[in-house]
Amino acid sequence: MTKRAGTVAAAAVVFFLATLGLAQAPGGKQSYVVMAPVGNVQLRAGASTSVEMDFRIGSEFHINSHHPKADYLIPTVLKLNVPEQLTVADVKYPAGEDMAFAFAPNDKLSVYSGDFTINAVLKAPANAAAGSYPVKGELRFQACDHSACYPPRSIPVQFQVTVIKK
Amino acid sequence: MKRNALVFVVLVAAILGMLAAGKYLDRTRKHGPLKMVGNVKGVQAPDFDLATLDGRRVKLSDFRGKAVLLNFWATWCPPCKIEMPWFEELQKQYGKDGLVVLGVAMDDTEPPKIAEFAHEMGVNYQVLLGTDKVSDDYGDVQYLPTTFYIDRNGVIVDKAAGLFSRGEIENDIKKILASSHNSAAPQTSRASAGNPWAPPTKDAP
Repeated sequence: MTKRAGTVAAAAVVFFLATLGLAQAPGGKQSYVVMAPVGNVQLRAGASTSVEMDFRIGSEFHINSHHPKADYLIPTVLKLNVPEQLTVADVKYPAGEDMAFAFAPNDKLSVYSGDFTINAVLKAPANAAAGSYPVKGELRFQACDHSACYPPRSIPVQFQVTVIKK
Repeated sequence: MKRNALVFVVLVAAILGMLAAGKYLDRTRKHGPLKMVGNVKGVQAPDFDLATLDGRRVKLSDFRGKAVLLNFWATWCPPCKIEMPWFEELQKQYGKDGLVVLGVAMDDTEPPKIAEFAHEMGVNYQVLLGTDKVSDDYGDVQYLPTTFYIDRNGVIVDKAAGLFSRGEIENDIKKILASSHNSAAPQTSRASAGNPWAPPTKDAP
């Protein structure tokens, strides 16, 4: 097994195990959404890189997309707090899928279901000091199933960025 | 290779540990008596004291002798929107028979926005501002809409979690309207200390 294959396999197993947690969170308050681990991100000083964050929604749920179709709906939003050595240049959300549900067959909602990926573009200034930096944040979302909805929730987002000199 | 295997084992152990911790915390973090768990039919509905959208206070016990449809909802809940016009119609239809519809908004939103939403939905029944306490008292209401059908004696006749058809809602309303007000309703509550429906008693001299 190569080093990369081993890392990918480990991430896949962790994602699978975390998925089991969708139905096992305390108080019957399901997680609805879990995040796959992000491998160590390498970023050259003065450059930018796109970080893929993979999320999985429990099979019976959907969440609003980043651009839901009504003001009263709560969008999915990723917030990242980065150290001074980094900046978030952009966050790219996938387009929502227009879906109608049994509770309102004529009223399509823009939602995510199954797996979805959010890309964050991180930049390191040319004078950024080499080193490993933690990036922390949260994904806020509001989930529903075929007949009811759950209060808005947030899950933590965390990964490590290694800045290397030019 | 050895390092990868170690990382793999640590990650798997961490995840399994978190799952086990979640289950443990679930059993231990709750303090005080559990409320409204399991089958709530036949249980005395917990009294509450909640603010209305216009700042008044409303207690469940204000409606003694009435049949109460208590609906937990939120502006961000599309299925809740489906029911609201039905509740409005049913309130008009059965209000003369003693039905009272109370909506409990579980939003974190400011009251004016909730009021605007309710107005857009054509809601004229009373909308109350939900609190963590009322949610907790009614069994940690997380699944919206959730509706409790409370008879004239303050006893929960049915609980509907999720969206149900208009016909099913109307059937439950008929059940609670059929109850007769018994001023000496038994205190069968597992959830509230006193019976809010019992007639007021004079203090002993």
